[in-house]
Parts: sequence; structure tokens; C-alpha cells
Amino acid sequence: MRSVTTILNRAKRLDRFMGRVITLGGMTIIAAVLGILIFIGKEAYPLFRAPRSRESAPVRLAPCAALLADETGTALATLDAGRGLTATIAGRSLVLPPGGPALPWTSVTAASSQGHFAAQGADGRIFFCEMQWDKPAETTDPGLWNAQPVWKGGIPSETITLLQARSLPASGIAASSTWRLVAKDAKGRLNWSETEEEAQTPLSWKTVDMPGGESPRCALWSADGTTLFVGTTQGTILAVNLGGLPRVEATAAFGEPVTALGFVLGQTSLLAGGEKGTLKALQMLRQDGQTTLQIFHQFQSMNGPVAGFMASQRDKRFLVWSSDRLAVDHLTTESRLFEAVVPDLRAGSLSARGDRIFAVDARGDLRSWTLDAPHPEISAKILWGKVHYESYPKPDYVWQSSGGTDDFEPKLSLVPLVFGTIKGTFYAMIFALPLAILGALYTSQFATPRLRDTIKPLIEIMAALPSVVLGFLAGLVLAPLFERSAMKVLLFPAATLILALALFPLWRKLPRRIRLGWGTGWEVLWVVPLLLGGLALASAFGPAFERTFLGGDFRGWLLHSHGLTYDQRNSLVVGFAMGFAVIPIIFTISEDALSAVPKSLSSASLACGASPWQTAWRVVLPTASPGIFSAVMVGLGRAIGETMIVLMATGNTPVMDWSPFNGMRTLAANIAVETPEAPVHGSLYRLLFFTAALLFCLTFLLNTAAELVRQHLRKRYESF
Amino acid sequence: MANIREWWRRGSALIWFSGAALAFSLLMIFGLIGYIGAKGLGFFWPGAIVRVVTPEGPVLGEITGEEPDQVQFHVANRDLFGQDYRWIPRSELKEMTKPLDAVVVERLEYGPFIGRIQRVEKDGQIVQGDPQEALRRLRPAAMTLSKHIRSLDRNEVGALNRQIEDLRLELNGTPPAGRPALEARVKALQETYEATQARLEVLRNQAAAVTVTLEAADGQTKTIPLASVVRVVPSNALGAFGKTGAYLSRLWEFIADDPRESNTEGGIFPAIFGTVMMVLIMSVLVVPLGVMAALYMREYARQGWLLRALRIAVNNLAGVPSIVFGVFGLGFFVYLVGGTIDQIFFSAKLPAPTFGTGGILWAALTLALLTVPVVIVATEEALAAVPRSQREASLALGATRWQTLWNVVIPGAMPGILTGLILAMARGAGEVAPLMLTGVVKLAPSMPLDGTFPFLHLDRKFMHLGFHIYDVGFQSPNSEAAKPMVFMTALLLLLVVVVLNLFALRLRNRLRARLGGGAF
Repeated sequence: MRSVTTILNRAKRLDRFMGRVITLGGMTIIAAVLGILIFIGKEAYPLFRAPRSRESAPVRLAPCAALLADETGTALATLDAGRGLTATIAGRSLVLPPGGPALPWTSVTAASSQGHFAAQGADGRIFFCEMQWDKPAETTDPGLWNAQPVWKGGIPSETITLLQARSLPASGIAASSTWRLVAKDAKGRLNWSETEEEAQTPLSWKTVDMPGGESPRCALWSADGTTLFVGTTQGTILAVNLGGLPRVEATAAFGEPVTALGFVLGQTSLLAGGEKGTLKALQMLRQDGQTTLQIFHQFQSMNGPVAGFMASQRDKRFLVWSSDRLAVDHLTTESRLFEAVVPDLRAGSLSARGDRIFAVDARGDLRSWTLDAPHPEISAKILWGKVHYESYPKPDYVWQSSGGTDDFEPKLSLVPLVFGTIKGTFYAMIFALPLAILGALYTSQFATPRLRDTIKPLIEIMAALPSVVLGFLAGLVLAPLFERSAMKVLLFPAATLILALALFPLWRKLPRRIRLGWGTGWEVLWVVPLLLGGLALASAFGPAFERTFLGGDFRGWLLHSHGLTYDQRNSLVVGFAMGFAVIPIIFTISEDALSAVPKSLSSASLACGASPWQTAWRVVLPTASPGIFSAVMVGLGRAIGETMIVLMATGNTPVMDWSPFNGMRTLAANIAVETPEAPVHGSLYRLLFFTAALLFCLTFLLNTAAELVRQHLRKRYESF
Repeated sequence: MANIREWWRRGSALIWFSGAALAFSLLMIFGLIGYIGAKGLGFFWPGAIVRVVTPEGPVLGEITGEEPDQVQFHVANRDLFGQDYRWIPRSELKEMTKPLDAVVVERLEYGPFIGRIQRVEKDGQIVQGDPQEALRRLRPAAMTLSKHIRSLDRNEVGALNRQIEDLRLELNGTPPAGRPALEARVKALQETYEATQARLEVLRNQAAAVTVTLEAADGQTKTIPLASVVRVVPSNALGAFGKTGAYLSRLWEFIADDPRESNTEGGIFPAIFGTVMMVLIMSVLVVPLGVMAALYMREYARQGWLLRALRIAVNNLAGVPSIVFGVFGLGFFVYLVGGTIDQIFFSAKLPAPTFGTGGILWAALTLALLTVPVVIVATEEALAAVPRSQREASLALGATRWQTLWNVVIPGAMPGILTGLILAMARGAGEVAPLMLTGVVKLAPSMPLDGTFPFLHLDRKFMHLGFHIYDVGFQSPNSEAAKPMVFMTALLLLLVVVVLNLFALRLRNRLRARLGGGAF
């Protein structure tokens, strides 16, 4: 037999142990639950982190005129008139296969971000080069890589300073691609030429006539090769169409001599840099048959003549350099992601991913940086301000997260979503608030106790209806129903009121015994047939009303006289369906608050001769108003975060329009729509986490406010 | 008249008005539940098959909708007509009859066929006698055969596929010395696989030998294997008894069978099963978590402003939108935890994710987090309601704190804990938004619980009633044809949630009555 002390000791040990387990477990669970916000915030945080850059040790190369980096920034090619093309991979110099223009080159263009350039050899022949890096499949070791420049052409020409060559893919019957070249001759005139890639006939150069005697400084072909953008010493940028007869399509005043032109990814936005370092972006806009060159972004100055540009192949960032500094800017946000001062800078390069930056100076020292800016397209201004996107005529709030093409730029303004959330909540609340509060007032003050005990659980059941069922009903049943009989729905309140006024004298005629005995406290049940009658009346006279006053078609009338379109899945439907979700919450909390008002107050009021309604409206309601306020807060929280109903009952179009006959897209529905498609840890993914954190904070604050008010109220009534 | 003015002034009219607000809310609830119930339950009842003659030819179908100037016919025969439903103006309807030989043939493919049975053929020979009679005679055998084929296809072939796949993975991680033995096993399995396929082929040919030729209203015919006929309902020839039989058979198919035709036909058993499994896993997770947190907060933690703040925070978590929990579940459970598990334990299968993608475990965990405040709040209330006298009696007898908790307080609080659990289950069963991010799919190839080791597959994706509603109603290409079925699914989900809630309500009321109600 074990002694009593052993048993006691064991009990005590167990007690201590369980105490520790529960304390630890409880704290962990609470911490975990609260950690949700922290985790969501942590996922969103990198969006707003400032870009970071780190410089690697410099390497001595020979001086060169242009630099070219591969996708990852591991392999590098240099272009120099005297030495031609050289390539290094991770610091290892490569011997390139023979070919290309004869040394020394008389001129070489800057390299495009796709690794294309043209050069003219000592013998006058012009070659076009696509720089390719041979990376055997599945090798990450740069030691196994090789450079494979592809030289094409070799077309004889007079000696000229090449500015740019654009290769246009073969089209139609032409078997090989064609090139469009632009160059400056010895007199400083701009010349252009077009040739087949394999042509043997010498190039014939055509002079581009400059209007007003302006002298060209730099030039760039548009993506389709029909328009030549020219920057002049006089500070003008011209778009010259060379598709047919040469004509100046549009001009823009830049303000200072234009020293360099470049493109951003997608080749719709033209970058221009001036002699004093001014940096602007322009776009061609075709509106109402007019073409304009619009300056739509301006960047921080480079404090010196801008020498060149290179665009990233991933997003809208680009590298720009002048004679003594280089910088990486983002087109849409206009923010500077990186800047470095390099004395005697000759050329810069940006890897295709935009995460490595190279610069070479006059002595041939190569400096390189890694740039860590994973989400440059997000800034506070992008999320909350009007943004001027490419091919949009003016700044606007736009949400459009994905598009069909690779160079599509996501447009991530949260304003339309916040607007949609407010709109959905607004329509839900104007429908639900009066119903819920009046219903609660009735239940707590006027209904008989038996009725009250049946109604409360019923409404609580309503709170538990799955929102997917409500959404399904709203989207597939109510929306078409409302569309067919919008007039009837809108007439319903008026019809019920008219019916009530018509039936009122009849009610007065009933014996007093029935009116007081069966009427008081049971009004609700008498009203049900009245409402159904109102519905029948509205259905019966709706079509006639529509014919007489609105020309037979409500939707047509709406469009003609108010310019409003009627979407099938609109705010009315959402408001009504969200009512199912919001009414029970507001009702339950308000009813609790109203019932908690001390009887002594209402009794005093009644004793002074106030009618029951006067008592309820002037005494009970004001006393319980903090409780009702808290009910409204909780209801708001539910309406803001409701997902399925909005997802299914609206078209989810992010429009900004208050009309009750359109849909909207809310923050919550947006998360449900976009998250499954968003690439992990991409900007959209993180932005969706950010909106989730927003929703979390908003509802949490609303609920906390409500809870504090409720606690305060509870304390106040404890004394009664 | 003065009387009325007085009536108005004293606000009686407004009492009526507020009563109307309540009545409207109640009408909304009853209207919703009644509408879904009527639409859902009415769907399986075999309606009359009506034949009418229109200028474009005869039409045969069930009347599914009526408007003042037009009538909607369910004409079925999607493979012949291209659409299931047709609106026909009333003015064009002539010669309405209800032919006795008209049947609704439910098929495995292309939805139901409405028409006449022309002939039944076996091995190319027309079976003599009344075709309906012949069909009735031959169907049991055909059905057995088709069931056999399906089970063979799904179970044996599926199991073989999995075994071969597992061996392949093992082979990748084996040094060359051990390979021949494994390779021999793979080869043996592949031979079995081919043999099974050959057997299947024989059975399929056998099934294809018995065919039935159906004739539509416009005279087009369609010959299909008898094995692909699910049910034949000669609605016009059936009495009330026969119709009830057809109704029950359809209802049973709906509850117990797999879906067909991208979820628009057949049953929703996998969705029911998935919902139940998910809620069960969630319950297993949520009860210990919630009860432990409540015990800590009520019994162990020092009461003070910090705890009050914590309590408000936990309560308010119940009001945070469910989609936010979904986002958290995706980021934390699926990508972070699941991704890490894959790196450590399932690296052989990478980049194909095992736990690093949505699955039933992650969905259940997410919902557990979502519903844990409900359990905490209910448990705390219940713990607080256990009378002080009982605790003190226990402590006075020398019991330790834990002994008091375990033997006195927790049993006393049990109904409250259960109420919390049931409310959590009801909430969990109805939530869809977080599941959409953490592992629900429109069509799951396999159940989360089956006969292959380790039986409970927590990494599998699953189907869910709520998501089924969303998907079939909104993403399906043929949502008009699927709508009635969605009503039935919605009814089922509604029933589950409402019954659970009523149950919790009853439990809470009984508890309140027992404890005098003061504490709540």
C-alpha cells in the first residue's frame, strides 16, 4: 500500500506540472493568435523597404565605350572601337570566335538592353550583333558558360557615325529580317537607311530634314521601326514618321539640349536626358485623330549631361548615366532606387533582371553593384494617389493587376478597392441599419415576452446562415429577379405605405377589445400580410407604372434620363444580401443594449404620461445609444470584411461610381479573386497581404471600440 | 379625427412601423429558407413530360418555368440540341399532350435524354419485345458491369499507379547497387498494370455490346451503351408511388454518389465527405487549443488590465474577416510550414509539392484559428459560471488546484465547452472564403480518407459543399443546368449549419436554466 504522502506528493507534482503546461500552452495559443497580424504584416513589409545596394570589389578592364551584361549580371561584354568586342564571365576573359567587323571599328552604337548593337568595321562594312551567352542547360556554374555573339550582315556603306540599328523581324514574303539604321554624317546631319539583313548592295543613306533648322543630337527608332525620335540641340524632341513620306508627327519642348534617348521595357515610354541632367519620360498619345508627344514623368536631375540609358527586362526600372554618376530610376513611381558617383564614367550597364549595375570609367576600372529592390513599383503614391500609367492620357486611380503580355505593367491603386468597400458597406448599412435597430427597439420594448423569446433565436439563426448560400442566392436568383422587376422592387415600400393608409380606417373600426388585446405586442404578425399585400400591389401596378411614367422600360429610362447603366449584379442586390449578414448582428447587440436599460427609467417616463413610443424613442433609445453604437461598429466590421456575398453578387469590376445600379470590387473580394493567381512573394502577393493587414486592423479597431463602449455601458448599469 | 391625430402624435404609428421593420427581417429569413427548400427539394420530383408542337417542330420536355408570355422547357439532349433549356412563346404552343412512352434517361455523359426508347440491341441483334421491358430486364447486369469497371479503374489501377510512382521515387534515391532489385519490382508492377488494363478492355467491350437507341422529339436518334444509363424514368406512366420511388432514388444518388459532368450532375458525396472530414479535423484541433487558452485566462493568469486587453483582443478576433485568415493560412501554413516540411521530408518529390500546397490539414488549421475565439469565449463563460461554492468545497477537501479543475470545474463547464465547439463547427462548416486559398478544389481525384496507407491523407485537397455552391453556380460553363443542383447543395449546407446552431442554442438554454442564468 502506498503511503498517503506519496499520493499527496504525486497530486502536488501533477498540479504543478499541469499548471505549467496550461500557462505555457495558453500563453502560446494567445501569442499565436495575435501573431497572425504580425505574420501578415511581415509578409507585406518588403513592399515598403527602401532599396538596398552593395558594391563589389572593382576590377580592372581595358577602357571601353559600351558595356553589356547578361540576364543575371554574371557575364559581361565590352565594346570598344579599337579592340572590338570582348567578353568576360565572372572575371574570366573569353576568346571569342572570329567574325564581325574588321578592326579598328569606325563606329559602334550603344548596346540595347536586349544585347543588340551595330558596328562599322575598318573596311566600311556594317555588322549587326546579337550578344548571346551559351549556358548549357541546368548549369549554374559560370565556369561552363561561353559567349556566342551572333554577327549578321556585313553590308558595305560609306563611313558614318552609327547611332542606332533596329532589327525588325521578318514579315510577309521577306525571308530575313530588315534593319533600320540611323546615323550622323560628317556634317552632323541625320541619315537613315533601311536594308535587308543579307543584302550585298551598299547602303543608301537618306537625310532626315529637320524643320526650323534644328540640329539633331541623338536619335532612336520606335519599336515598330516606323517612327524616329530625334532629340535636338535646341531642346526639342521630334517624332518623325518615316513609314511613308517623311513627316513630323509630333514634337515636344524639352527645355534644354537633348543628349540621350532611350526606352523603358515595352518600348512605349521614351526616356530623354538633357545637357544639364534633366530626365523626363514621354509617350506618344493618339487621341481624336491627333498625335501628341506627352511628357508624363519627370525624374531627379542627373546634374550633368545625360549619356545613356539601359532598361531592365523585368520591370519599368532603367539605368541612366552621365559623365560622373549613374542612377536607377523607376518609370511609374519616379523614385530613385540607386545612385552612385563615378568620376570619368564612360559606360554603364544593367543586367536584364535589373539587379546588377556596372560602370566603367576612363581608366577601364569596372565597378559593380548589386541592387536589392524587389518591389520598386509599389510606393505610397502608387497605392493611394493618381498615377500616370503608360498609354493613359492622364493620371488616374486604376486597379488592374494582370494583363495578357509579358511587359504588362500591373496597375495597383488601392483607391478603387477602398472605394468599392465603402460603397458596398454603405449600401448594406443603409438597408440593414433601420431594419435592425427598429426591429430591436420593437422586440425589446413593444413585443410580448412570448414573441420576443421566439424572435431572438430566429434572428440568431439568421446570423449563422453561410454567406456562400446568401451570395449564391443574391447572384443567381435575386440579381436576375431585380433586373426583371426593378420597378416592382423600387415601388414596394410606397405600395406598402399606400396599402397601410388604405387599411387604417378599417383597423380603427375593429372593436377596441381586439385592437388592444390582439394588436398590442403582436403588431408584427399583423404587418406580415400587409407587407405581402404591398408586394402584390407593387407587382400588380409596377408594369403599368413603368409603362405610364418611364416609357415601358426602367433600364432604358435610367440610361436616357440619368445616364446610368444598370448592371445585373449591382449594389442594390449586394446591399440586400449583405442585410442578411449584418441585420442579425446589429439586431442582437442592439436588443441586448435596449433590454439592459433599467426598467426604472422607462417606468418613470411612462408614469409621467409619456406614450410607449415616446418612452422608447426619447428615453430608452438615447440611454442605450452607446450600445447601439457598438452594434453598428460590429455590423460595419462584418460588412467591410464580407467576402463571398460580394464576390458572388457583384461583377467585381473595380469601378469608382456611386450609382446603386453598378457593382464594385471590395478589398475582401479582391483578395479572394487575386490571391490564388498571385506568384508567391511577388509584388501582388505582398500587396494582397497588405490589404489583408488593412482589413485586419480596420475590423479589429471597430470591434475594440465596440467592446470598450459595451464594457463602459455594462459598468454604468451595474449600479441600477 | 382627433382620435387619429392623437394616435399619430403618441407614436403608435411608429410602433407599427418598427414592427414592420422586424416583420420584414423575419420575412427575409423565412423567404430565403423556404425558397431554397422548395427549389432544392422539388428538383428531384419527376415532372410531367409534355409534348407540344411548335412552328419549328415538336418539342418534348419538362416545364420548368412560366412567365406571362412564355414557357421554359427543359428539353435536355444536350448532345443533340446544344442547350438544355428553351423558352417558347405561349402563342406558339399547340397540341399539348403527355405521351405515355416518353422517358427521361439519365446518362453518364451529356446529361439526361428526354425522348422515347426505340430499341435495345445485344451483340448487334435487336432484342425482341417491348423495348422498355427489355431495357428493364437487361439493366441490372449492365449496371453491375459498369460498377465493376469503375471500381477496377479507380481502385486497382489507381493503387498500381501509386505503387509504381513510389518505387520510382525510391529508385531515384537508391545507390546503383540496389537498383536492379527495385527495377525488377517496377517491371513486375508494370506487367500487372498492363494485365489489368487488358482485363478492363475486355469488360469495356462487353459493356459496349449492349446498346440502347433513343429517339428525340424531332426524330433524331442516339445510340448509347446500356452501361452508361444511370436511370430511366417514364414520368408520365408512373403513379404517385413510382414517382416517390424515382424521387428517393435520385435523392440517394445525390447524397451518396460521385459528381459527373464537371459537378453539374450525379451526387455530391465527396463534397459532403470533405466538409465533414475538414470540420472533424478542425474540431480535434480547436477544442484543446481553445479550452487550454480559456483555462489559462480564467484560472491561471493574473487578472489585470493586460489580461482584460488580451481578452478583448481574442474576442475581437472573431470579427476579423475570414478571408484574412485565409491569407494567413496560405502564407504561413501552406508556404512557410508546408514548404519547410517538403524541404525536409519530401525533398525527393520536389518541385512537386506535398504539403507545400493547399490541403485539408491546412484548411482545418486555418479554420481552427478562425473559430478558436468562439470556443475560448464559450469556455470562459462556462468556467465563470461554475459556482464558487463548488470550487471552494473541493479545495476545502484538500484537492489541489488541478484536481479541482479536472474533477469539478471542467465537468461543470462541459455543456458550455460543447456549445462553443458546436458553434465553432457551424461556423467552420459554412466558411468558404479561407478555404479557397488553403486547399479546396472543385473536383478532388481522391478522398482525404481511403484504403491506402496511411489512410488519412492530410496533404490531399478536398471538396466542400460551400465551395461546390460557389464553383458550380458561378464558375461552371453550364450554370443554368446546374442551378437546381446548387439549390439542393445549398439546402444541405443550410440544414447542417442551422441544425448545429439550434443544437448549440438548446444546449446553452439548458445550461442557463440549470445555472440560473445569472452568469451569462
